[in-house]
Amino acid sequence: MNSRTFSVLGLFDNAQLLMNAIPAVKGRVTGRLEAYTPYPIHGIEEALGLRKSPIGGMVFIMGLIGAISALALELWTSGIDYPLVTAGKPVFSWEAFIPIMFEVTVLFACFTSGLGMLLLLNRLPFYRHPMLRSRSMPLITRDKFALAVESEGQPLDVDRITAVLRETGAQTIEVIDQPAPPGPVSAGFLLWVAAGIMISCLLAGYLTYWGMKLFPVSVPMVHMLDQPKLDPEREDSFFKDGFGMRMPVAGTVARGQTPYTIKSEQDSAVLANPLPRTESVFRKGRQAFATYCSVCHGILGNGVSTLTAAYGAKPANLVSETVRGYPDGRIYHVIVAGKNAMPSYAAELTEDERWTVVHYVRALQRAMNARDTDIPKETPR
Amino acid sequence: MNENRTRNILAAAAVAGLAGMAATALIAGWERFWVNWILWFLYILTIGLGSLFIVALEHVVGARWSVPLRRVPERLSGLALLMGPAALLALFALPVLYPWTNAEALKDPVIAGKAIWLNVPFFAVRVVACVGLWILAYRIFVSGSIRQDGEKNPGFNVRARRFAPVFMVIFGITITVVAFDWISSLEPAWYSDVFGVYVFAGTFLAGLAATSLAVLYLMARGKLPGVGPDHVYNLGGFLFAFTVFWSYIGFSQYLLMWYANMPEEVFWYKERLEGAWGALVLALAVLHFLLPFLVLIPRDAKSEPKRLFWIATVMLIAHWLDLYWMIFPVLGKGALFSWPELSFGAFFVASSLLWIRHAMTRGADMPVGDPFLREGLEFRL
Repeated sequence: MNSRTFSVLGLFDNAQLLMNAIPAVKGRVTGRLEAYTPYPIHGIEEALGLRKSPIGGMVFIMGLIGAISALALELWTSGIDYPLVTAGKPVFSWEAFIPIMFEVTVLFACFTSGLGMLLLLNRLPFYRHPMLRSRSMPLITRDKFALAVESEGQPLDVDRITAVLRETGAQTIEVIDQPAPPGPVSAGFLLWVAAGIMISCLLAGYLTYWGMKLFPVSVPMVHMLDQPKLDPEREDSFFKDGFGMRMPVAGTVARGQTPYTIKSEQDSAVLANPLPRTESVFRKGRQAFATYCSVCHGILGNGVSTLTAAYGAKPANLVSETVRGYPDGRIYHVIVAGKNAMPSYAAELTEDERWTVVHYVRALQRAMNARDTDIPKETPR
Repeated sequence: MNENRTRNILAAAAVAGLAGMAATALIAGWERFWVNWILWFLYILTIGLGSLFIVALEHVVGARWSVPLRRVPERLSGLALLMGPAALLALFALPVLYPWTNAEALKDPVIAGKAIWLNVPFFAVRVVACVGLWILAYRIFVSGSIRQDGEKNPGFNVRARRFAPVFMVIFGITITVVAFDWISSLEPAWYSDVFGVYVFAGTFLAGLAATSLAVLYLMARGKLPGVGPDHVYNLGGFLFAFTVFWSYIGFSQYLLMWYANMPEEVFWYKERLEGAWGALVLALAVLHFLLPFLVLIPRDAKSEPKRLFWIATVMLIAHWLDLYWMIFPVLGKGALFSWPELSFGAFFVASSLLWIRHAMTRGADMPVGDPFLREGLEFRL
């Protein structure tokens, strides 16, 4: 018993002798069986009982991870974080995602099969493999076939293995010592370097992303602005009439810009609010109200704002009895047409936005005129 | 089962199918008759041409592993000859199904621009030329190979190898003509450059699936002694690779049209994605790509007869669905499938099987005169 022994190796004259010896040696000695041959021999994997390579499963799983991460990246960047409409297609266009998913799947799978096979499974680079210093190696690369019993951690019973190998027809026996400890550039070291590079890349990407998002020190992509294009409200030599902006094509109506035909407040009662009273509608209404209406009508809609004191103006109290009696259409009409000193807000608010404001004004009216019955009977203590 | 009984059942099915076809013409109308004719004749034709391509592929690359199996695709390629008369008869479908034969349709400038290619005399010339070229290829590859069984003359291999590259060009052109003339010109306003490649991918896959099925069937009956799992593995590998190729080409065609959104391209897909056709596309994606792809990933699946047998069956069905999805929407009546389709199927499939049974009486089950047969039998992965 020698714990410094790596393997005991027997040399055979031809492949058939080697194949015959394998079942005879198997089971009679402790240690892992390994064969070294000058050319591949069919069926030797089964005879030696080598396990199936796990590389297929690894590649499959990594390919799947590649596909899913590509999809997640695309969904996040072009669907959620910065929704970018391209060529009028929906933001979540699976068709456009497929090529990237395909490429990333192939990339992950190739890296896994190449690097996984070399580094993880074969533990390369392995400069000090004991077989490299074996006297039998020059013979094996020429015309001899070797069967080796290799140590799996436990010490090998050299005498017994030698006897068994001789018995099965081995011509020469060689005892090979354990390898020297691996040098600095071992497989483990390379794996750590690769992992380090990967973690640094992830970290750098993450830091750059959030750094640019939270502390925008530079204006991103200004050069996109410096290009020959038509600017609104500017003159331009592109068209004959010298205007950069165009009139709508005769006889057409832009989406969301249906012409408004109602002339007076009295006629506007026929308009009905087309929007449902959902949370998102109220939220949009509050936003629009805060931006355009609250400056004069006050944040509560009661006509009290900073402007009142500064200019002595008297904006309407939107939560008063009078306005509460208005139909929805009349409030809408005032937004479109203006009233007294108030100008039209048709240019600032789209049709839908005006209706969200109407909903929100209704909510303000209700809130500013709360009733006793609004208080829950069972008040929690 | 008794040999004569099988033949009688097939003959009965063919006769019953013929009766159903006559009834289709009388009851359901000539449009339904010819659309079924085109569909089923192309289904059998593509299986035959795919098999002929496999034979030529072996000669052009000098493959050895497939020599013991070569008689199978050689016999299957006889289907392309059987469909020669069917192609000539299908010329009667031109005025019924193909809009470009109608003087009214030629007022459309797009269709008028294609009239130089799409006119009845030139169409007929192309059909005759294609059928003639296929007969020529069949005589050189298949008849020569069967003659070699007795003569044992290696000169055949030299002739076949010289002709194979020429045939590759012939095949590329004729399969594109089949795709453009018989399928694409059903909607003559449509443009797709890659359509020929798409039909080629389906054709090759159909030939492979039919060849795999026949090889597995013959192996189970001991007709191919010496052919083992290593040969079957290669067929499985081909199926695996070309199911991905088919999906790649099919998706490329769709992606570019979807992106560009040009009216002259997208209308074809719009017709084929609405209603029942949309469900059929999903079925096609699963049966023609996802299922074979996932099932054939593991190494064992490519050489295990049972799994390969049902996957090849699924792919033959999927190839039919593919053609059905391309051809039937031109009727504009939804996904019709009823007794006329079944009658045509019974006639075409039964007569094809009878034709194959007849072909099996000619020559040995393996190319016994081929000098490379032994090398092919000894093939190991």
